[in-house]
Amino acid sequence: MIVCVAVVGHQNNPLYIQSFTEADDALKLHHVVHCSLDVVDERVNNPKKSGPMLNETYLGLLYPTENYKVYGYLTNTKVKFILVTTDLDVKDADVRNFFRRFHAAYVDAVSNPFHVPGKKITSRTFAERVSTIVKAFGLSSAG
Amino acid sequence: MPAAAPRSGDAIFASVEHVNAELFTLTYGAIVRQLLTDLEEVDEVNKQLDQMGYNIGIRLIDEFLAKANVSRCVDFKETAETIAKVGFKMFLGVTASVTNWDADGTCCSIVLEDNPLVDFVELPDTCQGLYYCNVLSGVIRGALEMVSMKTEITWTRDVLRGDDAYELQVKLLKLVPEEYPYKDDE
Repeated sequence: MIVCVAVVGHQNNPLYIQSFTEADDALKLHHVVHCSLDVVDERVNNPKKSGPMLNETYLGLLYPTENYKVYGYLTNTKVKFILVTTDLDVKDADVRNFFRRFHAAYVDAVSNPFHVPGKKITSRTFAERVSTIVKAFGLSSAG
Repeated sequence: MPAAAPRSGDAIFASVEHVNAELFTLTYGAIVRQLLTDLEEVDEVNKQLDQMGYNIGIRLIDEFLAKANVSRCVDFKETAETIAKVGFKMFLGVTASVTNWDADGTCCSIVLEDNPLVDFVELPDTCQGLYYCNVLSGVIRGALEMVSMKTEITWTRDVLRGDDAYELQVKLLKLVPEEYPYKDDE
Protein backbone atom coordinates (compact mmCIF):
# COMPACT_ATOMS: atom_id res chain seq x y z
CA MET A 1 0.00 0.00 0.00
CA ILE A 2 1.49 3.28 -1.00
CA VAL A 3 1.30 5.67 1.90
CA CYS A 4 2.78 8.80 0.43
CA VAL A 5 4.51 10.25 -2.62
CA ALA A 6 6.56 13.41 -2.65
CA VAL A 7 8.35 15.59 -5.17
CA VAL A 8 11.28 17.56 -3.81
CA GLY A 9 13.04 20.28 -5.75
CA HIS A 10 16.73 20.64 -6.34
CA GLN A 11 17.14 22.90 -3.31
CA ASN A 12 15.40 20.30 -1.18
CA ASN A 13 12.23 22.40 -1.16
CA PRO A 14 9.00 20.37 -1.24
CA LEU A 15 7.05 20.75 -4.49
CA TYR A 16 4.32 18.21 -3.97
CA ILE A 17 3.42 15.93 -1.06
CA GLN A 18 0.39 13.68 -1.15
CA SER A 19 -0.52 11.02 1.36
CA PHE A 20 -2.94 8.25 0.54
CA THR A 21 -4.02 6.97 3.93
CA GLU A 22 -6.16 8.87 6.39
CA ALA A 23 -4.80 7.14 9.44
CA ASP A 24 -1.21 8.25 9.36
CA ASP A 25 -0.12 11.59 10.53
CA ALA A 26 0.87 13.91 7.71
CA LEU A 27 3.64 15.37 9.86
CA LYS A 28 5.22 11.99 10.43
CA LEU A 29 5.25 11.38 6.71
CA HIS A 30 6.83 14.77 6.12
CA HIS A 31 9.52 13.73 8.57
CA VAL A 32 10.13 10.41 6.86
CA VAL A 33 10.43 12.14 3.48
CA HIS A 34 12.78 14.71 4.93
CA CYS A 35 15.07 12.06 6.41
CA SER A 36 15.15 10.22 3.14
CA LEU A 37 16.56 13.33 1.47
CA ASP A 38 19.74 12.89 3.49
CA VAL A 39 20.09 9.36 2.19
CA VAL A 40 19.60 10.62 -1.37
CA ASP A 41 22.34 13.19 -0.94
CA GLU A 42 24.65 10.57 0.48
CA ARG A 43 24.01 8.23 -2.46
CA VAL A 44 24.58 11.04 -4.92
CA ASN A 45 27.80 12.24 -3.38
CA ASN A 46 29.38 8.84 -2.78
CA PRO A 47 28.60 6.69 -5.79
CA LYS A 48 29.36 3.05 -5.18
CA LYS A 49 32.49 1.97 -6.95
CA SER A 50 30.71 -0.94 -8.55
CA GLY A 51 27.84 1.29 -9.59
CA PRO A 52 26.85 0.87 -13.23
CA MET A 53 26.49 4.45 -14.47
CA LEU A 54 26.91 7.85 -12.91
CA ASN A 55 23.61 9.14 -14.21
CA GLU A 56 21.43 6.40 -12.76
CA THR A 57 17.99 7.89 -12.14
CA TYR A 58 16.41 5.15 -10.06
CA LEU A 59 17.96 5.07 -6.60
CA GLY A 60 16.12 2.06 -5.24
CA LEU A 61 15.36 1.32 -1.63
CA LEU A 62 16.71 4.23 0.38
CA TYR A 63 16.14 2.92 3.86
CA PRO A 64 13.61 0.72 5.63
CA THR A 65 12.07 2.06 8.86
CA GLU A 66 9.95 0.05 11.26
CA ASN A 67 6.79 0.17 9.14
CA TYR A 68 7.76 1.71 5.84
CA LYS A 69 10.03 1.28 2.89
CA VAL A 70 11.22 4.41 1.16
CA TYR A 71 12.20 4.44 -2.51
CA GLY A 72 13.90 7.26 -4.33
CA TYR A 73 14.29 8.48 -7.89
CA LEU A 74 16.47 11.33 -9.02
CA THR A 75 15.93 13.24 -12.27
CA ASN A 76 18.66 14.95 -14.24
CA THR A 77 17.52 18.34 -12.94
CA LYS A 78 18.12 17.15 -9.36
CA VAL A 79 14.40 16.87 -8.66
CA LYS A 80 13.73 13.93 -6.37
CA PHE A 81 10.68 11.71 -6.24
CA ILE A 82 10.15 9.88 -2.95
CA LEU A 83 7.80 6.93 -2.54
CA VAL A 84 6.80 5.64 0.90
CA THR A 85 5.08 2.28 1.00
CA THR A 86 4.03 -0.22 3.63
CA ASP A 87 4.19 -3.25 1.33
CA LEU A 88 6.54 -5.92 2.54
CA ASP A 89 7.31 -7.51 -0.78
CA VAL A 90 7.56 -4.99 -3.56
CA LYS A 91 9.03 -5.96 -6.88
CA ASP A 92 11.78 -3.70 -8.12
CA ALA A 93 10.27 -3.67 -11.60
CA ASP A 94 6.97 -2.37 -10.24
CA VAL A 95 8.64 0.51 -8.47
CA ARG A 96 10.67 1.40 -11.54
CA ASN A 97 7.48 1.36 -13.60
CA PHE A 98 5.76 3.56 -11.04
CA PHE A 99 8.54 6.12 -11.14
CA ARG A 100 8.59 6.14 -14.92
CA ARG A 101 4.90 7.00 -15.09
CA PHE A 102 5.25 9.48 -12.25
CA HIS A 103 8.09 11.19 -14.12
CA ALA A 104 5.90 11.47 -17.24
CA ALA A 105 3.10 13.07 -15.22
CA TYR A 106 5.59 15.43 -13.58
CA VAL A 107 6.99 16.53 -16.96
CA ASP A 108 3.49 17.30 -18.25
CA ALA A 109 2.66 19.29 -15.11
CA VAL A 110 5.84 21.33 -15.37
CA SER A 111 5.21 22.08 -19.08
CA ASN A 112 2.18 24.13 -18.07
CA PRO A 113 3.13 27.73 -18.90
CA PHE A 114 1.40 28.90 -15.73
CA HIS A 115 3.56 26.72 -13.49
CA VAL A 116 6.42 28.57 -11.86
CA PRO A 117 9.48 26.33 -11.53
CA GLY A 118 10.48 26.07 -7.90
CA LYS A 119 6.96 26.71 -6.62
CA LYS A 120 4.53 24.03 -5.51
CA ILE A 121 2.72 22.06 -8.17
CA THR A 122 -0.93 23.10 -8.03
CA SER A 123 -2.18 21.28 -11.10
CA ARG A 124 -5.34 19.28 -10.50
CA THR A 125 -4.64 17.05 -13.48
CA PHE A 126 -1.31 16.12 -11.95
CA ALA A 127 -2.98 15.17 -8.67
CA GLU A 128 -5.51 13.02 -10.50
CA ARG A 129 -2.88 11.28 -12.59
CA VAL A 130 -0.80 10.58 -9.51
CA SER A 131 -3.84 9.01 -7.80
CA THR A 132 -4.42 6.84 -10.85
CA ILE A 133 -0.80 5.71 -10.94
CA VAL A 134 -0.87 4.95 -7.21
CA LYS A 135 -4.07 2.91 -7.57
CA ALA A 136 -2.60 1.00 -10.51
CA PHE A 137 0.50 0.25 -8.48
CA GLY A 138 -1.59 -1.10 -5.64
CA LEU A 139 -3.47 -3.42 -8.00
CA SER A 140 -0.43 -4.65 -9.86
CA SER A 141 1.57 -5.55 -6.78
CA ALA A 142 -1.38 -7.21 -5.06
CA GLY A 143 -2.32 -9.39 -8.03
CA MET B 1 -4.32 27.55 -68.43
CA PRO B 2 -6.91 25.75 -66.29
CA ALA B 3 -6.58 26.17 -62.55
CA ALA B 4 -5.35 23.12 -60.65
CA ALA B 5 -7.91 21.24 -58.60
CA PRO B 6 -8.09 22.43 -54.98
CA ARG B 7 -5.72 20.44 -52.82
CA SER B 8 -7.04 18.85 -49.72
CA GLY B 9 -5.85 20.05 -46.36
CA ASP B 10 -4.02 16.78 -45.70
CA ALA B 11 -2.03 17.05 -48.90
CA ILE B 12 -0.90 20.58 -48.18
CA PHE B 13 -0.13 19.78 -44.56
CA ALA B 14 2.09 16.95 -45.69
CA SER B 15 3.96 19.13 -48.15
CA VAL B 16 4.86 22.09 -45.93
CA GLU B 17 7.73 22.17 -43.46
CA HIS B 18 6.87 21.02 -39.97
CA VAL B 19 8.00 22.27 -36.60
CA ASN B 20 8.06 20.30 -33.37
CA ALA B 21 4.60 20.50 -31.82
CA GLU B 22 5.91 20.85 -28.27
CA LEU B 23 8.14 23.75 -29.29
CA PHE B 24 5.12 25.47 -30.81
CA THR B 25 2.98 24.84 -27.74
CA LEU B 26 5.66 25.98 -25.31
CA THR B 27 6.40 29.11 -27.38
CA TYR B 28 2.74 30.10 -27.41
CA GLY B 29 2.53 29.43 -23.67
CA ALA B 30 5.52 31.68 -23.10
CA ILE B 31 3.89 34.47 -25.15
CA VAL B 32 0.69 34.29 -23.09
CA ARG B 33 2.63 34.22 -19.83
CA GLN B 34 4.68 37.23 -20.83
CA LEU B 35 1.57 39.16 -21.86
CA LEU B 36 0.02 38.42 -18.50
CA THR B 37 3.12 39.64 -16.71
CA ASP B 38 3.31 42.81 -18.80
CA LEU B 39 -0.35 43.78 -18.95
CA GLU B 40 -1.65 42.21 -15.73
CA GLU B 41 -5.31 42.63 -16.76
CA VAL B 42 -6.95 39.54 -18.24
CA ASP B 43 -9.17 41.63 -20.54
CA GLU B 44 -6.17 43.51 -21.90
CA VAL B 45 -4.43 40.23 -22.60
CA ASN B 46 -7.48 38.94 -24.44
CA LYS B 47 -7.50 42.07 -26.59
CA GLN B 48 -3.78 41.82 -27.32
CA LEU B 49 -4.06 38.16 -28.30
CA ASP B 50 -6.90 39.07 -30.66
CA GLN B 51 -4.84 41.89 -32.15
CA MET B 52 -1.85 39.60 -32.60
CA GLY B 53 -4.09 37.08 -34.30
CA TYR B 54 -5.49 39.79 -36.55
CA ASN B 55 -2.00 40.79 -37.67
CA ILE B 56 -1.17 37.15 -38.35
CA GLY B 57 -4.43 36.61 -40.22
CA ILE B 58 -4.06 39.47 -42.66
CA ARG B 59 -0.75 37.97 -43.77
CA LEU B 60 -1.72 34.33 -43.50
CA ILE B 61 -4.56 34.65 -45.97
CA ASP B 62 -2.14 35.20 -48.85
CA GLU B 63 -0.17 32.10 -48.03
CA PHE B 64 -3.35 30.14 -47.66
CA LEU B 65 -4.72 31.22 -51.03
CA ALA B 66 -1.39 30.56 -52.71
CA LYS B 67 -0.98 27.05 -51.38
CA ALA B 68 -4.53 25.83 -51.23
CA ASN B 69 -5.64 26.64 -54.75
CA VAL B 70 -9.27 26.92 -53.76
CA SER B 71 -11.62 28.62 -56.13
CA ARG B 72 -13.64 31.62 -55.05
CA CYS B 73 -16.18 30.60 -52.44
CA VAL B 74 -19.75 31.00 -53.59
CA ASP B 75 -21.26 31.82 -50.23
CA PHE B 76 -20.37 32.11 -46.58
CA LYS B 77 -21.18 28.45 -45.97
CA GLU B 78 -18.46 27.40 -48.35
CA THR B 79 -16.08 29.88 -46.72
CA ALA B 80 -16.65 28.42 -43.30
CA GLU B 81 -16.19 24.88 -44.57
CA THR B 82 -12.93 25.86 -46.28
CA ILE B 83 -11.61 27.47 -43.12
CA ALA B 84 -12.48 24.44 -41.03
CA LYS B 85 -11.37 21.68 -43.34
CA VAL B 86 -8.48 23.18 -45.29
CA GLY B 87 -7.27 26.13 -43.25
CA PHE B 88 -7.10 24.58 -39.82
CA LYS B 89 -5.70 21.37 -41.23
CA MET B 90 -3.01 23.18 -43.16
CA PHE B 91 -1.75 25.40 -40.39
CA LEU B 92 -2.48 23.55 -37.17
CA GLY B 93 -2.81 19.98 -38.34
CA VAL B 94 -6.25 19.56 -36.78
CA THR B 95 -9.58 19.19 -38.53
CA ALA B 96 -12.45 21.31 -37.37
CA SER B 97 -16.13 20.88 -38.11
CA VAL B 98 -18.80 23.43 -38.88
CA THR B 99 -22.15 23.27 -37.13
CA ASN B 100 -25.06 25.39 -35.95
CA TRP B 101 -25.93 27.31 -39.05
CA ASP B 102 -28.58 29.91 -38.48
CA ALA B 103 -31.47 30.58 -40.86
CA ASP B 104 -29.70 33.30 -42.85
CA GLY B 105 -26.53 31.37 -43.35
CA THR B 106 -24.49 34.18 -41.83
CA CYS B 107 -23.62 32.67 -38.49
CA CYS B 108 -22.07 29.32 -37.71
CA SER B 109 -19.92 27.52 -35.17
CA ILE B 110 -16.54 26.00 -35.85
CA VAL B 111 -15.79 23.18 -33.42
CA LEU B 112 -12.27 22.00 -32.65
CA GLU B 113 -11.93 18.70 -30.89
CA ASP B 114 -8.26 19.00 -30.10
CA ASN B 115 -6.04 22.01 -30.16
CA PRO B 116 -2.24 21.89 -30.17
CA LEU B 117 -1.96 25.32 -28.53
CA VAL B 118 -3.28 24.08 -25.20
CA ASP B 119 -1.33 20.90 -24.52
CA PHE B 120 -0.26 20.76 -20.87
CA VAL B 121 -2.05 24.01 -20.03
CA GLU B 122 -4.18 24.52 -16.95
CA LEU B 123 -5.52 27.96 -16.17
CA PRO B 124 -4.72 29.12 -12.65
CA ASP B 125 -7.48 30.61 -10.52
CA THR B 126 -6.18 34.14 -11.04
CA CYS B 127 -6.73 34.02 -14.79
CA GLN B 128 -10.18 32.59 -15.08
CA GLY B 129 -11.41 35.16 -17.59
CA LEU B 130 -8.60 34.48 -20.02
CA TYR B 131 -9.38 33.24 -23.51
CA TYR B 132 -6.14 31.35 -23.95
CA CYS B 133 -6.63 30.67 -27.67
CA ASN B 134 -7.90 34.12 -28.53
CA VAL B 135 -5.20 34.43 -31.15
CA LEU B 136 -7.20 31.98 -33.29
CA SER B 137 -10.24 34.23 -33.35
CA GLY B 138 -8.06 37.14 -34.43
CA VAL B 139 -6.50 35.08 -37.21
CA ILE B 140 -9.86 34.17 -38.70
CA ARG B 141 -11.16 37.72 -38.39
CA GLY B 142 -8.05 39.18 -40.05
CA ALA B 143 -7.99 36.64 -42.84
CA LEU B 144 -11.67 37.13 -43.69
CA GLU B 145 -11.32 40.89 -43.61
CA MET B 146 -8.70 40.67 -46.33
CA VAL B 147 -11.21 38.89 -48.55
CA SER B 148 -13.84 41.55 -47.97
CA MET B 149 -15.84 39.97 -45.19
CA LYS B 150 -16.31 41.73 -41.91
CA THR B 151 -16.91 39.19 -39.19
CA GLU B 152 -17.31 38.95 -35.46
CA ILE B 153 -15.83 35.96 -33.70
CA THR B 154 -16.49 34.85 -30.16
CA TRP B 155 -15.65 31.78 -28.10
CA THR B 156 -18.69 29.82 -27.00
CA ARG B 157 -16.96 26.74 -25.55
CA ASP B 158 -13.48 26.44 -24.13
CA VAL B 159 -11.96 23.27 -22.68
CA LEU B 160 -9.73 25.26 -20.31
CA ARG B 161 -12.90 26.63 -18.72
CA GLY B 162 -14.46 23.23 -18.26
CA ASP B 163 -16.30 22.54 -21.54
CA ASP B 164 -15.67 19.51 -23.68
CA ALA B 165 -14.46 21.11 -26.91
CA TYR B 166 -13.44 24.42 -28.42
CA GLU B 167 -16.20 26.23 -30.24
CA LEU B 168 -15.89 29.51 -32.11
CA GLN B 169 -18.95 31.36 -33.23
CA VAL B 170 -18.32 33.10 -36.55
CA LYS B 171 -20.82 35.78 -37.50
CA LEU B 172 -20.70 37.52 -40.85
CA LEU B 173 -21.48 41.19 -40.34
CA LYS B 174 -21.26 42.45 -43.88
CA LEU B 175 -19.57 41.95 -47.21
CA VAL B 176 -17.46 44.96 -47.99
CA PRO B 177 -17.41 45.67 -51.72
CA GLU B 178 -14.00 46.43 -53.19
CA GLU B 179 -13.24 50.12 -53.33
CA TYR B 180 -11.06 51.69 -55.91
CA PRO B 181 -8.67 54.31 -54.65
CA TYR B 182 -9.44 56.70 -57.45
CA LYS B 183 -12.63 58.11 -58.87
CA ASP B 184 -13.49 57.29 -62.47
CA ASP B 185 -14.62 60.73 -63.49
CA GLU B 186 -11.57 62.67 -62.38
